[in-house]
Amino acid sequence: MSGGSMPEQGGGGKKKKKALDANINVVPAIDLLSCCIAFLLYTAVWTQISRLQVQQLGTGAPEQALAERQQKALAVTLAVGERGMALLVGDSSYDIPPLGRSPEGVVLQDLKTLNTRLKAVKGEFPDQGSIIVTAEDTVPYGDLVHVIDACLAVGLMQVSVSGV
Amino acid sequence: MAIVQPGKRPSKRLARSKVLGGKIGGGRRVTNAELNVVPMVDMMTMLVIFLLQQYSATGEVLYMQKDIRLPDARHGQMIEQAPTVAISVEQVVVAGQKVADVADLDRDAGYLNIPALEEKLREDKKRWEFIHQSDPNRKWDGIVNIQADQKVPFRIVKRVMYSCGVAGYFNLNFAALDVGSGSAAAQAPSP
Repeated sequence: MSGGSMPEQGGGGKKKKKALDANINVVPAIDLLSCCIAFLLYTAVWTQISRLQVQQLGTGAPEQALAERQQKALAVTLAVGERGMALLVGDSSYDIPPLGRSPEGVVLQDLKTLNTRLKAVKGEFPDQGSIIVTAEDTVPYGDLVHVIDACLAVGLMQVSVSGV
Repeated sequence: MAIVQPGKRPSKRLARSKVLGGKIGGGRRVTNAELNVVPMVDMMTMLVIFLLQQYSATGEVLYMQKDIRLPDARHGQMIEQAPTVAISVEQVVVAGQKVADVADLDRDAGYLNIPALEEKLREDKKRWEFIHQSDPNRKWDGIVNIQADQKVPFRIVKRVMYSCGVAGYFNLNFAALDVGSGSAAAQAPSP
Protein backbone atom coordinates (compact mmCIF):
# COMPACT_ATOMS: atom_id res chain seq x y z
CA MET A 1 0.00 0.00 0.00
CA SER A 2 1.12 3.48 -0.61
CA GLY A 3 2.17 5.55 2.26
CA GLY A 4 3.26 9.06 2.84
CA SER A 5 6.88 9.14 3.96
CA MET A 6 8.53 11.91 5.88
CA PRO A 7 12.26 12.53 6.06
CA GLU A 8 13.97 11.01 9.04
CA GLN A 9 15.26 13.54 11.44
CA GLY A 10 19.00 13.55 11.76
CA GLY A 11 21.01 13.70 14.96
CA GLY A 12 22.79 11.24 17.06
CA GLY A 13 20.44 10.81 19.96
CA LYS A 14 20.77 7.71 22.00
CA LYS A 15 17.08 7.02 22.25
CA LYS A 16 15.62 4.91 19.52
CA LYS A 17 13.31 7.19 17.59
CA LYS A 18 9.86 6.26 16.40
CA ALA A 19 9.50 5.66 12.70
CA LEU A 20 7.92 8.67 11.07
CA ASP A 21 6.55 6.76 8.12
CA ALA A 22 2.80 6.36 8.24
CA ASN A 23 0.76 4.12 6.06
CA ILE A 24 -2.43 5.67 4.80
CA ASN A 25 -5.09 3.28 3.68
CA VAL A 26 -6.32 4.62 0.37
CA VAL A 27 -8.72 1.77 -0.35
CA PRO A 28 -11.81 3.70 0.93
CA ALA A 29 -10.76 6.68 -1.17
CA ILE A 30 -10.54 4.49 -4.25
CA ASP A 31 -13.94 2.97 -3.47
CA LEU A 32 -15.48 6.42 -3.09
CA LEU A 33 -13.91 7.70 -6.30
CA SER A 34 -15.07 4.62 -8.19
CA CYS A 35 -18.64 5.19 -7.01
CA CYS A 36 -18.40 8.88 -7.94
CA ILE A 37 -17.11 8.05 -11.42
CA ALA A 38 -19.87 5.51 -12.02
CA PHE A 39 -22.55 7.96 -10.87
CA LEU A 40 -21.17 10.91 -12.82
CA LEU A 41 -20.71 8.86 -15.98
CA TYR A 42 -24.34 7.80 -15.76
CA THR A 43 -25.68 11.32 -15.19
CA ALA A 44 -23.32 13.28 -17.45
CA VAL A 45 -24.94 15.40 -20.16
CA TRP A 46 -22.73 15.40 -23.22
CA THR A 47 -24.81 17.61 -25.51
CA GLN A 48 -25.64 21.08 -24.25
CA ILE A 49 -28.99 22.10 -25.68
CA SER A 50 -30.26 25.60 -25.15
CA ARG A 51 -33.59 27.25 -25.84
CA LEU A 52 -34.56 30.42 -27.65
CA GLN A 53 -37.82 31.64 -26.18
CA VAL A 54 -40.24 33.15 -28.66
CA GLN A 55 -43.87 34.17 -28.72
CA GLN A 56 -46.10 33.54 -31.66
CA LEU A 57 -48.31 36.19 -33.15
CA GLY A 58 -51.87 35.59 -34.23
CA THR A 59 -52.54 32.32 -32.40
CA GLY A 60 -52.65 31.13 -28.86
CA ALA A 61 -53.27 33.38 -25.90
CA PRO A 62 -50.32 35.69 -25.36
CA GLU A 63 -50.41 37.77 -22.22
CA GLN A 64 -52.36 40.97 -22.60
CA ALA A 65 -49.63 42.98 -20.90
CA LEU A 66 -47.11 41.81 -23.48
CA ALA A 67 -49.40 42.76 -26.36
CA GLU A 68 -49.97 46.20 -24.86
CA ARG A 69 -46.23 46.64 -24.30
CA GLN A 70 -45.54 45.75 -27.91
CA GLN A 71 -48.15 48.22 -29.11
CA LYS A 72 -46.58 51.04 -27.09
CA ALA A 73 -43.03 50.22 -28.17
CA LEU A 74 -41.51 51.03 -31.52
CA ALA A 75 -42.43 48.45 -34.15
CA VAL A 76 -39.31 46.61 -35.25
CA THR A 77 -39.97 43.89 -37.79
CA LEU A 78 -37.51 41.61 -39.50
CA ALA A 79 -38.72 39.81 -42.60
CA VAL A 80 -36.71 36.77 -43.67
CA GLY A 81 -37.14 35.20 -47.06
CA GLU A 82 -35.62 33.96 -50.29
CA ARG A 83 -34.56 37.47 -51.28
CA GLY A 84 -32.67 38.11 -48.06
CA MET A 85 -33.86 40.07 -45.07
CA ALA A 86 -35.64 43.37 -44.58
CA LEU A 87 -35.47 45.23 -41.30
CA LEU A 88 -38.36 47.64 -40.73
CA VAL A 89 -37.84 50.13 -37.91
CA GLY A 90 -40.84 52.40 -37.61
CA ASP A 91 -41.15 53.96 -41.04
CA SER A 92 -37.65 53.25 -42.27
CA SER A 93 -36.58 50.07 -43.98
CA TYR A 94 -33.19 48.41 -44.51
CA ASP A 95 -32.65 45.63 -47.01
CA ILE A 96 -30.05 42.99 -46.27
CA PRO A 97 -29.41 41.00 -49.46
CA PRO A 98 -28.33 37.36 -49.18
CA LEU A 99 -24.72 36.30 -49.60
CA GLY A 100 -25.70 33.81 -52.27
CA ARG A 101 -26.74 30.21 -52.34
CA SER A 102 -25.08 27.10 -51.03
CA PRO A 103 -24.34 24.21 -53.42
CA GLU A 104 -27.54 22.61 -52.11
CA GLY A 105 -29.54 25.64 -53.22
CA VAL A 106 -30.18 27.06 -49.75
CA VAL A 107 -30.11 30.84 -49.38
CA LEU A 108 -27.16 32.05 -47.29
CA GLN A 109 -28.36 34.94 -45.14
CA ASP A 110 -25.98 37.77 -44.29
CA LEU A 111 -26.01 37.48 -40.50
CA LYS A 112 -23.05 39.82 -39.99
CA THR A 113 -24.81 42.74 -41.65
CA LEU A 114 -27.97 41.89 -39.76
CA ASN A 115 -26.02 41.98 -36.51
CA THR A 116 -24.56 45.38 -37.39
CA ARG A 117 -28.02 46.74 -38.30
CA LEU A 118 -29.60 45.41 -35.15
CA LYS A 119 -26.80 46.90 -33.05
CA ALA A 120 -27.41 50.26 -34.68
CA VAL A 121 -31.13 50.01 -33.93
CA LYS A 122 -30.46 49.04 -30.34
CA GLY A 123 -27.99 51.93 -30.05
CA GLU A 124 -30.57 54.35 -31.37
CA PHE A 125 -33.43 52.97 -29.27
CA PRO A 126 -31.88 51.50 -26.11
CA ASP A 127 -35.28 50.84 -24.49
CA GLN A 128 -36.43 48.74 -27.39
CA GLY A 129 -36.67 45.12 -26.29
CA SER A 130 -39.07 43.50 -28.71
CA ILE A 131 -38.91 42.47 -32.33
CA ILE A 132 -41.23 40.64 -34.69
CA VAL A 133 -39.64 38.09 -37.00
CA THR A 134 -41.68 37.08 -40.02
CA ALA A 135 -40.47 34.25 -42.18
CA GLU A 136 -41.44 32.90 -45.55
CA ASP A 137 -42.53 29.29 -45.84
CA THR A 138 -39.27 28.18 -47.43
CA VAL A 139 -36.96 29.55 -44.74
CA PRO A 140 -35.20 26.64 -43.02
CA TYR A 141 -35.49 26.26 -39.24
CA GLY A 142 -31.70 26.68 -38.96
CA ASP A 143 -31.80 30.16 -40.53
CA LEU A 144 -34.72 31.16 -38.33
CA VAL A 145 -32.81 30.12 -35.22
CA HIS A 146 -29.71 32.05 -36.35
CA VAL A 147 -31.80 35.17 -36.94
CA ILE A 148 -33.47 34.89 -33.52
CA ASP A 149 -30.05 34.31 -31.98
CA ALA A 150 -28.79 37.52 -33.62
CA CYS A 151 -31.77 39.42 -32.14
CA LEU A 152 -31.06 38.04 -28.67
CA ALA A 153 -27.37 38.92 -29.06
CA VAL A 154 -28.11 42.64 -29.29
CA GLY A 155 -30.61 42.61 -26.42
CA LEU A 156 -33.92 42.29 -28.24
CA MET A 157 -35.15 39.66 -25.84
CA GLN A 158 -38.87 39.55 -26.69
CA VAL A 159 -38.95 37.86 -30.04
CA SER A 160 -42.28 37.16 -31.69
CA VAL A 161 -42.45 34.87 -34.69
CA SER A 162 -45.09 34.75 -37.35
CA GLY A 163 -45.55 33.65 -40.93
CA VAL A 164 -45.79 36.02 -43.84
CA MET B 1 -3.06 -5.00 0.79
CA ALA B 2 -0.69 -7.77 0.03
CA ILE B 3 -0.41 -9.24 -3.39
CA VAL B 4 0.60 -12.87 -3.14
CA GLN B 5 2.85 -14.20 -5.81
CA PRO B 6 1.40 -17.29 -7.40
CA GLY B 7 3.27 -20.54 -6.93
CA LYS B 8 3.64 -23.56 -4.69
CA ARG B 9 2.65 -23.16 -1.06
CA PRO B 10 3.96 -25.99 1.09
CA SER B 11 2.37 -26.75 4.42
CA LYS B 12 4.15 -25.58 7.57
CA ARG B 13 5.47 -29.04 8.36
CA LEU B 14 6.88 -29.44 4.85
CA ALA B 15 8.34 -25.96 4.86
CA ARG B 16 10.25 -26.80 8.06
CA SER B 17 11.66 -29.96 6.49
CA LYS B 18 15.42 -29.78 5.90
CA VAL B 19 15.20 -31.95 2.83
CA LEU B 20 12.19 -30.52 0.98
CA GLY B 21 11.61 -27.19 2.66
CA GLY B 22 14.19 -25.23 0.68
CA LYS B 23 13.23 -26.66 -2.67
CA ILE B 24 9.48 -26.33 -2.40
CA GLY B 25 9.37 -23.10 -0.46
CA GLY B 26 11.83 -21.42 -2.77
CA GLY B 27 13.90 -20.09 0.08
CA ARG B 28 12.79 -17.22 2.28
CA ARG B 29 12.05 -14.68 -0.36
CA VAL B 30 9.48 -12.07 0.51
CA THR B 31 6.37 -12.76 -1.45
CA ASN B 32 4.56 -9.56 -0.51
CA ALA B 33 4.67 -6.92 -3.23
CA GLU B 34 3.54 -3.36 -2.73
CA LEU B 35 1.45 -1.81 -5.43
CA ASN B 36 1.74 1.93 -5.86
CA VAL B 37 -1.80 3.15 -6.28
CA VAL B 38 -1.04 6.88 -6.13
CA PRO B 39 -1.13 7.36 -9.96
CA MET B 40 -4.45 5.53 -10.08
CA VAL B 41 -5.92 7.78 -7.38
CA ASP B 42 -4.62 10.82 -9.27
CA MET B 43 -6.21 9.65 -12.47
CA MET B 44 -9.51 8.92 -10.77
CA THR B 45 -9.51 12.36 -9.15
CA MET B 46 -8.98 13.99 -12.53
CA LEU B 47 -11.81 11.89 -13.98
CA VAL B 48 -14.16 12.93 -11.17
CA ILE B 49 -13.32 16.63 -11.73
CA PHE B 50 -13.92 16.32 -15.48
CA LEU B 51 -17.21 14.48 -15.00
CA LEU B 52 -18.36 16.99 -12.39
CA GLN B 53 -17.96 19.69 -15.03
CA GLN B 54 -20.22 17.72 -17.36
CA TYR B 55 -22.83 17.19 -14.66
CA SER B 56 -26.19 18.84 -15.11
CA ALA B 57 -28.66 18.98 -12.25
CA THR B 58 -31.64 19.16 -14.61
CA GLY B 59 -30.57 16.04 -16.45
CA GLU B 60 -31.13 15.51 -20.13
CA VAL B 61 -34.35 17.32 -21.04
CA LEU B 62 -34.10 16.78 -24.77
CA TYR B 63 -32.66 13.66 -26.27
CA MET B 64 -30.63 13.98 -29.43
CA GLN B 65 -32.17 11.99 -32.22
CA LYS B 66 -30.35 10.55 -35.18
CA ASP B 67 -32.58 12.19 -37.77
CA ILE B 68 -32.58 15.66 -36.19
CA ARG B 69 -29.59 17.97 -36.57
CA LEU B 70 -30.09 21.02 -34.40
CA PRO B 71 -28.78 24.44 -35.46
CA ASP B 72 -26.24 26.28 -33.32
CA ALA B 73 -27.05 29.21 -31.05
CA ARG B 74 -24.86 31.33 -28.82
CA HIS B 75 -27.35 33.23 -26.73
CA GLY B 76 -29.81 30.59 -25.63
CA GLN B 77 -30.99 29.94 -22.12
CA MET B 78 -30.98 26.72 -20.16
CA ILE B 79 -33.68 24.42 -21.43
CA GLU B 80 -36.46 23.42 -19.07
CA GLN B 81 -38.81 20.53 -18.69
CA ALA B 82 -41.83 20.87 -21.00
CA PRO B 83 -43.63 18.84 -23.66
CA THR B 84 -41.37 18.44 -26.66
CA VAL B 85 -42.40 18.41 -30.29
CA ALA B 86 -39.66 16.87 -32.43
CA ILE B 87 -39.74 17.66 -36.15
CA SER B 88 -37.44 15.70 -38.39
CA VAL B 89 -37.31 15.88 -42.17
CA GLU B 90 -39.76 12.98 -42.30
CA GLN B 91 -42.11 13.12 -39.32
CA VAL B 92 -43.48 15.05 -36.36
CA VAL B 93 -43.19 13.30 -33.00
CA VAL B 94 -44.55 14.22 -29.57
CA ALA B 95 -43.30 12.31 -26.54
CA GLY B 96 -42.05 9.49 -28.71
CA GLN B 97 -45.36 9.16 -30.56
CA LYS B 98 -45.63 10.04 -34.24
CA VAL B 99 -48.43 12.49 -34.92
CA ALA B 100 -47.84 13.41 -38.56
CA ASP B 101 -45.73 12.80 -41.63
CA VAL B 102 -44.00 15.83 -43.10
CA ALA B 103 -44.89 14.65 -46.62
CA ASP B 104 -48.58 14.55 -45.64
CA LEU B 105 -48.34 18.02 -44.14
CA ASP B 106 -46.83 19.31 -47.38
CA ARG B 107 -49.71 17.72 -49.28
CA ASP B 108 -52.36 19.33 -47.05
CA ALA B 109 -50.91 22.78 -47.43
CA GLY B 110 -54.37 24.38 -47.26
CA TYR B 111 -54.76 23.61 -43.55
CA LEU B 112 -52.80 25.27 -40.80
CA ASN B 113 -53.39 22.98 -37.85
CA ILE B 114 -52.27 19.40 -37.17
CA PRO B 115 -55.24 17.68 -35.46
CA ALA B 116 -53.29 14.75 -33.95
CA LEU B 117 -50.71 17.12 -32.47
CA GLU B 118 -53.42 19.36 -31.05
CA GLU B 119 -55.16 16.39 -29.46
CA LYS B 120 -51.95 15.10 -27.88
CA LEU B 121 -51.04 18.51 -26.49
CA ARG B 122 -54.57 19.03 -25.15
CA GLU B 123 -54.27 15.70 -23.33
CA ASP B 124 -51.00 16.87 -21.78
CA LYS B 125 -52.60 20.14 -20.74
CA LYS B 126 -55.56 18.36 -19.16
CA ARG B 127 -53.17 16.10 -17.25
CA TRP B 128 -51.24 19.13 -16.02
CA GLU B 129 -54.46 20.84 -14.89
CA PHE B 130 -55.58 17.67 -13.09
CA ILE B 131 -52.26 17.36 -11.28
CA HIS B 132 -52.20 21.02 -10.26
CA GLN B 133 -55.92 21.45 -9.49
CA SER B 134 -55.24 21.70 -5.75
CA ASP B 135 -52.46 24.22 -6.27
CA PRO B 136 -54.07 27.58 -7.15
CA ASN B 137 -50.73 29.42 -7.00
CA ARG B 138 -49.40 27.47 -9.94
CA LYS B 139 -50.38 29.19 -13.18
CA TRP B 140 -50.42 27.61 -16.59
CA ASP B 141 -47.30 28.78 -18.41
CA GLY B 142 -47.99 27.11 -21.76
CA ILE B 143 -44.39 26.25 -22.53
CA VAL B 144 -43.53 23.80 -25.27
CA ASN B 145 -40.13 22.85 -26.65
CA ILE B 146 -39.79 22.60 -30.41
CA GLN B 147 -36.86 20.49 -31.53
CA ALA B 148 -36.57 20.63 -35.29
CA ASP B 149 -33.99 19.65 -37.84
CA GLN B 150 -32.15 22.64 -39.26
CA LYS B 151 -33.40 21.88 -42.78
CA VAL B 152 -37.08 21.71 -41.89
CA PRO B 153 -38.88 24.52 -43.73
CA PHE B 154 -40.78 27.16 -41.80
CA ARG B 155 -44.11 26.09 -43.33
CA ILE B 156 -43.93 22.91 -41.22
CA VAL B 157 -42.69 24.73 -38.10
CA LYS B 158 -45.48 27.28 -38.60
CA ARG B 159 -48.14 24.57 -38.57
CA VAL B 160 -46.65 23.05 -35.44
CA MET B 161 -46.57 26.49 -33.81
CA TYR B 162 -50.19 27.12 -34.76
CA SER B 163 -51.31 23.76 -33.37
CA CYS B 164 -49.41 24.44 -30.14
CA GLY B 165 -51.10 27.84 -29.84
CA VAL B 166 -54.56 26.39 -30.43
CA ALA B 167 -53.90 23.71 -27.77
CA GLY B 168 -52.93 26.40 -25.26
CA TYR B 169 -49.15 26.30 -25.59
CA PHE B 170 -48.23 29.83 -26.61
CA ASN B 171 -44.72 30.06 -25.14
CA LEU B 172 -42.42 28.38 -27.60
CA ASN B 173 -38.86 27.34 -26.97
CA PHE B 174 -36.82 26.65 -30.07
CA ALA B 175 -34.15 24.09 -29.26
CA ALA B 176 -30.60 24.69 -30.46
CA LEU B 177 -27.15 23.39 -29.73
CA ASP B 178 -25.48 25.65 -27.23
CA VAL B 179 -22.12 26.83 -28.52
CA GLY B 180 -21.96 29.85 -26.24
CA SER B 181 -19.48 28.46 -23.76
CA GLY B 182 -17.21 27.18 -26.53
CA SER B 183 -17.16 30.49 -28.36
CA ALA B 184 -16.55 32.38 -25.14
CA ALA B 185 -13.58 30.16 -24.46
CA ALA B 186 -12.30 30.71 -27.98
CA GLN B 187 -12.64 34.49 -27.68
CA ALA B 188 -10.96 34.61 -24.29
CA PRO B 189 -7.54 36.23 -24.46
CA SER B 190 -4.69 33.80 -24.17
CA PRO B 191 -2.26 34.44 -21.30
